[in-house]
Amino acid sequence: MADNWTRSVPCRYFKNGICREGNNCQYRHVQETRREGGSSIETEATSTVTAASTAACHFFKQGMCKFGDRCRFKHITDEDSSPATAETSSFESHTSGISSASVTEKIKEVPRLAEEWVNAPEFVPLSIPTASSSSTAETSSTSATTSAPVSYARAVNATGQSVTSSSAPLCPYAEASGICKKPNCTYVHGDICELCGRAALHPHNEEERKKHTNACVKQHEVDMELSFAIQRSQEKSCGVCFEVIMEKSTREQRFGILPNCNHCFCLTCIRKWRQATQFDNKIIRACPECRVTSDFVCPSMYWVDTKEEKEKLIMDYKGVLSTKDCKYFMKGRGKCPFGNKCFYLHALPDGTKADVGPPVRQRRNADSDIDFLHQIILWDFLDARDNHLMYSIDELEDIVAFFSDSEDSDWSEYDLFFD
Amino acid sequence: MANIAAQRIQREFKEVIKSEEVAKCAIKVELVNDSFTELKGEIAGPPDTPYEGGNFVLEIKVPETYPFNPPKVRFITKIWHPNISSVTGAICLDILKDQWAAAMTLRTVLLSLQALLSAAEPDDPQDAVVAKQYKEQPDMFRQTAKHWTSVYAGGPAKMPELDDKIRRLTDMGVEEHNARVALSSYNWDLERATEQLFS
Repeated sequence: MADNWTRSVPCRYFKNGICREGNNCQYRHVQETRREGGSSIETEATSTVTAASTAACHFFKQGMCKFGDRCRFKHITDEDSSPATAETSSFESHTSGISSASVTEKIKEVPRLAEEWVNAPEFVPLSIPTASSSSTAETSSTSATTSAPVSYARAVNATGQSVTSSSAPLCPYAEASGICKKPNCTYVHGDICELCGRAALHPHNEEERKKHTNACVKQHEVDMELSFAIQRSQEKSCGVCFEVIMEKSTREQRFGILPNCNHCFCLTCIRKWRQATQFDNKIIRACPECRVTSDFVCPSMYWVDTKEEKEKLIMDYKGVLSTKDCKYFMKGRGKCPFGNKCFYLHALPDGTKADVGPPVRQRRNADSDIDFLHQIILWDFLDARDNHLMYSIDELEDIVAFFSDSEDSDWSEYDLFFD
Repeated sequence: MANIAAQRIQREFKEVIKSEEVAKCAIKVELVNDSFTELKGEIAGPPDTPYEGGNFVLEIKVPETYPFNPPKVRFITKIWHPNISSVTGAICLDILKDQWAAAMTLRTVLLSLQALLSAAEPDDPQDAVVAKQYKEQPDMFRQTAKHWTSVYAGGPAKMPELDDKIRRLTDMGVEEHNARVALSSYNWDLERATEQLFS
């Protein structure tokens, strides 16, 4: 019942040529045809397309229509059609009383009210002053509500001029794959970029060309860096399990970089070594090959050769950790034994960072550590469990790997702590 | 776990066989069983030591947690050395205990043992009697060690004087090895050794 009244309101979309709701549209699909005598009659339309072929194509008027010859609308320029548009474009003109002869008062009354409702400012996009001079001139006499709805193509191309070649967008098909199947594609087909091999260079816009080339060069550099990293990692084997790290299973293809020496281990092995309980902390915190002590292990996808690379890696690692909330600090509710040496974020719930001072206890005897140790193990367990709940999806392996990185690294902190 | 241990031993095995020490016959590793958990090692006595010319056989047991824990190694060949038990062959060597590192291998272990033979640590003894002798009567120690090497490890030295003393004891019905241990422990003092054996 509530919907019935809409039946009497002409559909705005149909009026403009097409309504995707078709026969299911809540609004009235009215087709108007102008007779020689200047009067128009309305006929109830039964399909979505009937109104189409008579209307001029808005997109074509703006300069391009991607449907080309297959477009359901008339492809006529503004100049050709100005007399026609003047006649047909404004539905308002005939409801406003000029052509009241053939329609009864009753029928006329309803659409008019509806017309006003449907043209309420909330529903009508702001008309752009310079646009559609012919139709606004024609209908301006009726009322303020008559400004015709502006099509999207017109809204984005407010000046109404045909698009200048330098700002014309590139054909997305040609840009992506190099192939555009449309024989007379109205979009601009770019030149082939030598770096990426795609038709992505704008033929007329120098700025766009530069932008793309720069992006390509940058991408190329990243790719090069990656392939170098892969190459130098390729042969590296772990000093503990003796396996070539890149030949291990995907999940174990990770390097554990020690900050103070240059010996190569897989993350799994070096962490396991550092967790060993049967040896002194001094022993397990030392590199298994050279016995140089390192405070933590930095996980990495690739092997790092130079000092600079290593420094960057460690900086990035600490950077990532410093954005994650410390599990011991718990936004101020808990106490972090690592104090301000902790790699994780110590922030209060309102976001302010808290300085918690130096680590609480530097040296303790083994007995008093036991409680704390239990706590760490418990937390690790809880954390592992939570992660499984949250990221149980295998496809998101990256995410899991990323998380496992930083979460497991508690052990490195543990190392740091038992100084 | 055991998987890592076995895989690593396998790799190490190849490494040892290819190493130059094997080429020089200084060390040797053999498999005892197929599971890579038990091996037999062999080291040559280092030159300029009482152990020169001897070949010492070792028992190597690889734990499941290898390489995060050291292998268990002991001498099967009897040896006279302050850091090795003359009775059981147990070795006192830091890297086989608390100074182990996961990057160490069978090869490094064997080489370390060889180094131990040339440089004993009498202050951290396994066999107190030997250590005492090593410190107090180095000449006697060297002679004893040489004698043991020739008897048990195929060393070249012949020491008729010492052999004679042992024969005197074995003639009294004492088992040869026991006689040798007693004499070695008492600096080849026949009287005290006899006293100890028959007390």
